[in-house]
Amino acid sequence: MSQTTVVTAAPEPKLWAGGRSPYNVSYGKMMTWFFLLSDALTFGAFLISYGTTRFFSAVWPDANQVFKSFPFMGEHDMPLVFVSLMTFILIMSSVTMVLAVHAGHYGDKKNVAKWLLWTIIGGICFLACQAWEWTHLHGECGGLWGSFTDLSTSPVESFRHFFSEKSVKFVDAQPLVAMQSTHNFFNYFFTITGFHGGHVTSGVIFNILILVNTVNGVYQRRGHYEMVEKVGLYWHFVDLVWVFVFTCFYLL
Amino acid sequence: MSANHSNDTYQHLYEGDQSKLYSGIMSHHHDVKSPEAKAQVKRIWGIFWFLLVITVVEVIMGMKFSHLMPRGIANFIFLALTLVKAGYIVKVFMHLGDEFRGFITTVLIPLVLFVWFIIAFLADGAFWLRMNNESQARHNSAVQEVSHEQ
Repeated sequence: MSQTTVVTAAPEPKLWAGGRSPYNVSYGKMMTWFFLLSDALTFGAFLISYGTTRFFSAVWPDANQVFKSFPFMGEHDMPLVFVSLMTFILIMSSVTMVLAVHAGHYGDKKNVAKWLLWTIIGGICFLACQAWEWTHLHGECGGLWGSFTDLSTSPVESFRHFFSEKSVKFVDAQPLVAMQSTHNFFNYFFTITGFHGGHVTSGVIFNILILVNTVNGVYQRRGHYEMVEKVGLYWHFVDLVWVFVFTCFYLL
Repeated sequence: MSANHSNDTYQHLYEGDQSKLYSGIMSHHHDVKSPEAKAQVKRIWGIFWFLLVITVVEVIMGMKFSHLMPRGIANFIFLALTLVKAGYIVKVFMHLGDEFRGFITTVLIPLVLFVWFIIAFLADGAFWLRMNNESQARHNSAVQEVSHEQ
């Protein structure tokens, strides 16, 4: 029998018979999703324990009172404006990330690099904003974690202004309880935004590494930009967590 | 004729670099200027504007109106809008909506556990508040009942 030059394609293995991915998704991408699930449970645990603490507190600081500063605007009262800016920056960087992934689907190296660069810039801007927020609140609390532990070192006047009009009467009547709530509030705030900021930082670092790889043509040679998709998934996860953190701390 | 040769097209890809199967080589994206590509970009920007509008609505509500309506209603609206945002980010930006239905299920089912998690722990928190109030009253009848002021 003569050899032909045509390679005969064997039929693809059946869906669940082994030897193939039944979901048509590569191992790397599937495991990225599973990692994101585990991370979602971690952040979920943090946020739910925040909710539990809030539910067993008689009184709780008011977000509109705590977060009303804006860089370079002095003592102006602009509740929630700065955090809205941060949310906008992160959503923007999410969009540029999707556009990078989209360009990757078409093997468009130049645009992948361009959109990845914008994503990185967005991430760095977000981190700068968060750093400003922390520095500013550090000034207000006299520290980060572990402040407001003793009424003698932090008298009522130092945390009274964090509470809304409705709650201030209670704060004056039971300053110890209000102090404990303030202590808990800032503990949770710095922990959760700290973990989130850590994820943003690692996301920015990953994006930089993948950008370098893209520019060097690693993915062009490989034939696909799935790595960009995978870091894209991580970046969107970071954005998702922020959406929930923003809701829990600043809105609810 | 090719019975003794290992398959050159699919099999070695399954055993080796699987991402080739599902990303560049086997998918049929060719022209970044095609109408489908442009439509997808338009869709992405459309979702961006949608997310932005929802966020602005949430912030304005948080700033101005949430003190004027019952706490429960305000919280429900915030949570509903947040879940809508999250849904679109996962479906469109993370492309989960484009995956096989079985995979979508695999990812979403564990998140349903959150419903139980949230209800259980918030109920616990509320119970602890009541318990702390009532224990105090039992020991000291002069203490006024601490109401849950939020």
